[in-house]
Amino acid sequence: MAVQNILKYPHPLLKKMAHPVEQLDAEIKRLLQDLVDTMEAGPGSVGVAAPQIGVGLRACVVDVSKNRHGKDNNHGRLLMLNPEIIDCSGMAVMREGCMSVPDFTGDVQRSTDITVRFMDGGNGQTREINASGFEAVAIQHEMDHLDGMLFLDRVVNVATGLFRRKNYK
Amino acid sequence: MTIKENISFAVSVVGADRPGIVAAITEVLFRLGCNISDSSSTMLAGQFATILIVTHTKPFGKEQLEAELGKVCKQMEMTLSVRELNNGEARRGETEGEICQITVYGADQPGIVYHVANTLAVHQINIMDLQTKLAGTKTEPVYIMLLEAALPDNLVPDDLEKLLSGVKSELQVEIGVRLITPVEL
Repeated sequence: MAVQNILKYPHPLLKKMAHPVEQLDAEIKRLLQDLVDTMEAGPGSVGVAAPQIGVGLRACVVDVSKNRHGKDNNHGRLLMLNPEIIDCSGMAVMREGCMSVPDFTGDVQRSTDITVRFMDGGNGQTREINASGFEAVAIQHEMDHLDGMLFLDRVVNVATGLFRRKNYK
Repeated sequence: MTIKENISFAVSVVGADRPGIVAAITEVLFRLGCNISDSSSTMLAGQFATILIVTHTKPFGKEQLEAELGKVCKQMEMTLSVRELNNGEARRGETEGEICQITVYGADQPGIVYHVANTLAVHQINIMDLQTKLAGTKTEPVYIMLLEAALPDNLVPDDLEKLLSGVKSELQVEIGVRLITPVEL
């Protein structure tokens, strides 16, 4: 169990395609625990992807259950290996920030409803969920990290206000 | 977060739009070793307007910057203004409150911006971004105003809609308030 440093852009790993996870072994379990610990240590963070802590593997964790946007509509803590979006619909714009791109926010358009298939990091089984709303946004944001994409690659409108919140509720 | 140990200037340049304005201004800044630490530029009714916060790590005189920029602005017939910022004046703001977008639109008439802005000012609500456009047709002009504001801690967007309800009925305009506080992912 260890909180890892979040890599910040321009660290090159953040722009690299991550490699698939082959099986849920001790090493991957340790990685998932590090991701959870790092997520829980971040101020208001609802997800972390492996490349953000320096590991080029297709693993990410998402948990919007404690966030005000996600508390009423979520699947709890998701430990996702090799996630794939197999269906998506709807479009909405949300202003996003990212721990790997400090002091900048921008409006990003994403699907509002997604079906995502992944190897569950809890038991190694294939799992499919339908996520919507903020949870869907968070999953898409973390999955982008696995493809070397940052929200900056998807910004439709720069947030002109440079005021950042001191605390994320 | 203060941009400290730096000399900072607020520079603004406005003039008839044409290709090459940004290149001409930034050539001067680059040559002098200045950093553009924050900037916003846009075209307003054919006038190009740019505002830059320029920083320099070495002692640097306002006169020199003004003289160098003045030359290119004169050539392009653009208005220049340079103001030196005191230490700590150029900083990144932080807010405890929510950030919301306020949309106002309706039949064009005098006072829309003033009445909305005044209501916000009375309640100590800080405007962070403001854009207005005159749209519609010549016979039926529509005024559209989009602004972003930082709400004080004790207010939620619904409160703000209520505070603006007087302006809304008086001017017969539509006013909507929507939360756009960024989500940290």
